[in-house]
Amino acid sequence: MSDPLKNQLKTLMIDTLRLEDVTPADIVDDEPLIGGGLSLDSIDALELVVRLEKEFGIKIGSSEESRTALASVNALADYIRAHADSSRLPAA
Amino acid sequence: MSVPPPPIRVAACGALTAFGDETVTLDALLAGRTALAARPVQGRPGDDLVPLALIPARPYDETLPPGWLPALQTLAARIPGEGWGTPRRPVFVTGSNFGVGHLLAFRRHGDPAHLDLGTPYECVAHVARTLGWGPDVTVISHACVSAHLGLLQATRTLHAGLADEALVFSFDFISAFVAGGFHALKILNADFPAPYQNRPVGSIGLGDGAAFAVLTRDRGDFALAGQSLHNEMHHFTANRADGSGFAACLADLPAAAVRRVWLKGHGTGTLEAGRLETAALDQAFPDAPLVSWKGALGHTLGSCGLVELAIALAAIRRGRAPGTIGATAPGFTPAVAFDAFDLAGFDGVVCTSNAFGGAHAAFIACHA
Repeated sequence: MSDPLKNQLKTLMIDTLRLEDVTPADIVDDEPLIGGGLSLDSIDALELVVRLEKEFGIKIGSSEESRTALASVNALADYIRAHADSSRLPAA
Repeated sequence: MSVPPPPIRVAACGALTAFGDETVTLDALLAGRTALAARPVQGRPGDDLVPLALIPARPYDETLPPGWLPALQTLAARIPGEGWGTPRRPVFVTGSNFGVGHLLAFRRHGDPAHLDLGTPYECVAHVARTLGWGPDVTVISHACVSAHLGLLQATRTLHAGLADEALVFSFDFISAFVAGGFHALKILNADFPAPYQNRPVGSIGLGDGAAFAVLTRDRGDFALAGQSLHNEMHHFTANRADGSGFAACLADLPAAAVRRVWLKGHGTGTLEAGRLETAALDQAFPDAPLVSWKGALGHTLGSCGLVELAIALAAIRRGRAPGTIGATAPGFTPAVAFDAFDLAGFDGVVCTSNAFGGAHAAFIACHA
């Protein structure tokens, strides 16, 4: 069964970074987001972090923390669950 | 085989930091003090606090005329000679911010007078009018190696016989616009910078800085024994992981020009670049002590190369170099000097800067 948060994150990535010809199904949960199949770079990471902070009311404190959070969709979902208010998360 | 031209001399060099002029700044650095203080990133209550080193009493928000202009006039009053901005005495103005904060001020307040300072050319034109310079003023900006480019362009102009003296002038005053940008990148965060310190989280600070150098062919106690520039053309915000960009720039320096050097590195406090930089310096100059002063001054951005040159020359005159303030052992390499040290036995200093866009710059400064 698919994870609603991971689906939301994938959709948010596609929307924020205007990833053409990419669907949520194309984004693999455990693949590196930066430098992986999506070819995201540090500027993409910056845009993504800004959007994630607004969307989930979180605060990412440093570039190292940002890199940890954006390691993969799995890592990002874990990070959001650990730091966001539960009211911001999609219903399971 | 062509004979290299003689080193260009530094007839005068001065700086302004949040501490004061280069002498006051050197005193503060030797005492291990920092000018960085936690301040609201956008200058508004409730903002995230970030380390900034601002010239005392100047307003953080943009004002008309600019609040930093009196400080710049004070610095410029120390420049020897007259007739700057004329064909035989050209001025090279470098920096990375200029008056960009005025664009944000225009957005906030709507006063079109801010637009007259918002671009590099408009801002420099304003400064040139204020300081009484003529029209021979060239604006050079390439992020945090800007001042190095100004020094190199002035050197080439003198070597070509196109000028009698050249003034390199640089200024960067931190604005909410610029601090906000670095904050968004997450490298300007709540932590204070600890350059070259091996720790889990990196961070930088930002600082106000301005400086000048009068370059000549035949006058001055100091010389620029070699300069180099390199762009690795890899990525806007990242370096090649093997550090080859740093190494390539250092390889172009005429290291044989001096026997024993100390190193004033870029050392902003970021981890990846710090590791690559220290490794490359260690390889090129084994055992040379390495310092960064950005843990005390903040990163003065496009002006850092000239600001730190003025402090380095003051240190050579004093015979003692400040250590890497804000950081403690362990460093990325054993060569990182955390404490001040005597300069007896050293022939010169290698100063390096690195920039967004993959740019690297370095020069050797020594007694003429």
